Amino acid sequence: MSIGRRHLVAAGAAVIGSATAAHAQQRIAITFMHYQTGTSGKILRALLDAFQAENPDVEVRDVFRQSEQITAELQAAIAARRPVDVSQVIGKNIIFHLNNLPAVQINADPAADAWLARYLPTFLDIGRVGTRIYAIPHSYGTPLVYINRDLFRQAGLDPERSPRTWDDVVEAAKQIVQRTGKGGVAQLHAANKDYGTMLMVTNAGATYLARDGMRALFDSPEGIAALQLWQDLAVRHRVMPIANDQQWTAAFQAGQLGMYITSSAALRSFVAAAEGRFELGVANYPRFGERPRRTPNSGAAVMVFAPEGPRRAASLRLLEFLSRREIANRWSRETGYMPLSVDPLADPEMARYAREFPLVQPSIAQMAETVDTDRWPAFGAIEAQTEIANMIDALWAGKGTAADLAPRTVARVNEILARANAGR
Amino acid sequence: MRSSWGQGRDPEPYLYLAPMLALLAVFTYWPLVHTAYLSVVRWNMAPGAAMPFVGLTNFASVTSGSLFAAASYNTVIYLAASIPLKVLLPIPIAVFVWSLGGRGAAYRTILFLPTLISFVVVSVVVLWLLNPMGGHVPALLAMAGVAMGNPLADAERAIWLVIGLSSWKVLGFHVLIYVAGLSAIPRDLVEAMRIDGAGDWRILRSLIWPLLGPTTLFVLISTILFTLQQCFTPIDILTQGGPSNGTTNLFYMVYQLAMRSFDIGGGAAGTVMLFALLLLLVAAKFALLDSRVAYER
Repeated sequence: MSIGRRHLVAAGAAVIGSATAAHAQQRIAITFMHYQTGTSGKILRALLDAFQAENPDVEVRDVFRQSEQITAELQAAIAARRPVDVSQVIGKNIIFHLNNLPAVQINADPAADAWLARYLPTFLDIGRVGTRIYAIPHSYGTPLVYINRDLFRQAGLDPERSPRTWDDVVEAAKQIVQRTGKGGVAQLHAANKDYGTMLMVTNAGATYLARDGMRALFDSPEGIAALQLWQDLAVRHRVMPIANDQQWTAAFQAGQLGMYITSSAALRSFVAAAEGRFELGVANYPRFGERPRRTPNSGAAVMVFAPEGPRRAASLRLLEFLSRREIANRWSRETGYMPLSVDPLADPEMARYAREFPLVQPSIAQMAETVDTDRWPAFGAIEAQTEIANMIDALWAGKGTAADLAPRTVARVNEILARANAGR
Repeated sequence: MRSSWGQGRDPEPYLYLAPMLALLAVFTYWPLVHTAYLSVVRWNMAPGAAMPFVGLTNFASVTSGSLFAAASYNTVIYLAASIPLKVLLPIPIAVFVWSLGGRGAAYRTILFLPTLISFVVVSVVVLWLLNPMGGHVPALLAMAGVAMGNPLADAERAIWLVIGLSSWKVLGFHVLIYVAGLSAIPRDLVEAMRIDGAGDWRILRSLIWPLLGPTTLFVLISTILFTLQQCFTPIDILTQGGPSNGTTNLFYMVYQLAMRSFDIGGGAAGTVMLFALLLLLVAAKFALLDSRVAYER
């Protein structure tokens, strides 16, 4: 190659390089912290890639953190001034984030209300302060009854008739235990220490926490009745083997448990575990007598912490993208999380999916019966939740009835919350 | 001839020590001082948040709860149970391995293996093994007519499971330390005692035990200091401190306060109290035992 040609090539490369550098400078990089791993993590990345393809000026860097640690990681990152523009946040911790971190009002521009209206209105309540919205729903789960239909058959039960109320659940569980020797039923307990308790008493018509999160109220007659039922499952009817969430999950997947009540987010893993082992069924969360079903959702919302300027604008564009019905539905279809949009079946793709994969239908049906998750205050929550977990342990160990233990626990929880939040 | 420095001291040793002293200052003593400071302010790590001085309020707040009472009680159990299991039990095993000489390598490897296995993996396997629905241990015991229930759901038994697991995990490591200590004992002395008619017990009591004193003291102090940390992973994975606060301890409580509820002041107050407790225990051990230990010079 002659010197002249070599210079020409070098000059060309320099021009291309500087153009690429200029383009890179123009791209806005935002960071999205999340706890999605495995398949869900890949699907999230695919959605972020789709957003990038539509918005070539934005690069979304996703940062994975364990779900148990994400609140601490987010807190530490922001304290250390590391950039976190968008993050998943556990629903019950939203008050903490609102009070302590620079959370961005998503509908500061009233135009955002138009795309926020794509979500089921109750799903926005968790991040709503008056008319201001600080969080959008994202990885929501709703509690469902997962059924081992083979064990139903072995127990002489009709697998086509799923239990509708808690009374039905108890009867079916008794029959499973008596005729198969396997576990009858279990409901997730300690996820976030108290979600199972919140679910049980709320569905029975009780109020779990006051709206401001500062007082427990579940010692009402409805709350005590629900807690007594939970004790009866373990102590009186002996249909619920006392264990923890991991052990129940493993037992259900191994075909050792007739019914397991846990989040819709477990659907994909249960389908995979049941493959070739047993026939899986899914039913709605049992009603408490004839009371209307009320199921608080579990899971995470998404909040924005980006500083004012291009990063915040890009972050809000990402949230708008995630809110689109076809995107939210794709997220739900491929992960098992709850659909989030108003009328998700209006999307032909989702309607086809629901027809071909009927196990998802209870989750869609339960959307309208979902109520806002109770939110704990910023201080004293761990100790208060530990008191509640201890109450459940004591109930299962038969150390008192719900009428004995619930009022005492409520009094202790309220004393803890009052003490921890005094003068804050 | 080197010039004098200060009051006639040679600066050279201090220069050699400087990097280590700097690291200790930055990574040990400064965090210690800063933790003491955090224990008397109210802070939740929020950037720009005020840190008002609250005196001993954090200490009062932490100690007034039932969680602290349970954590303190369990801490005493963890520490007390660890001494026979982690300090004394490895001694006869180490003596056995040492007595085998070169043939003891296989035993050393088998005993040391648990130290290398991730505690997370061990904890998850234990969850499976003890699962009351289809777990291998309950199933095997059921065949023998024993109903074991679920020890992880039993407030009385769960702590002993955690203690047993953490002891099993460090047993091999402590055996290895004792074997190293035993290797310094001349075998001629053992032979001489045997010729004089001493039995195994007499050799252990009158020769091995006194000469193993510095090693035992080291294992004892490190056990006191690290037992609560060693129990952290099985607690977090198996029980999260339950059932009914049955397995929590001060170390786990501090983690919950600081990293779950972001009560940094409360977490720091708990850390200061834990530090004081461990310092007191170590100081007491030194005061009681160090004078009885013979060090070679």
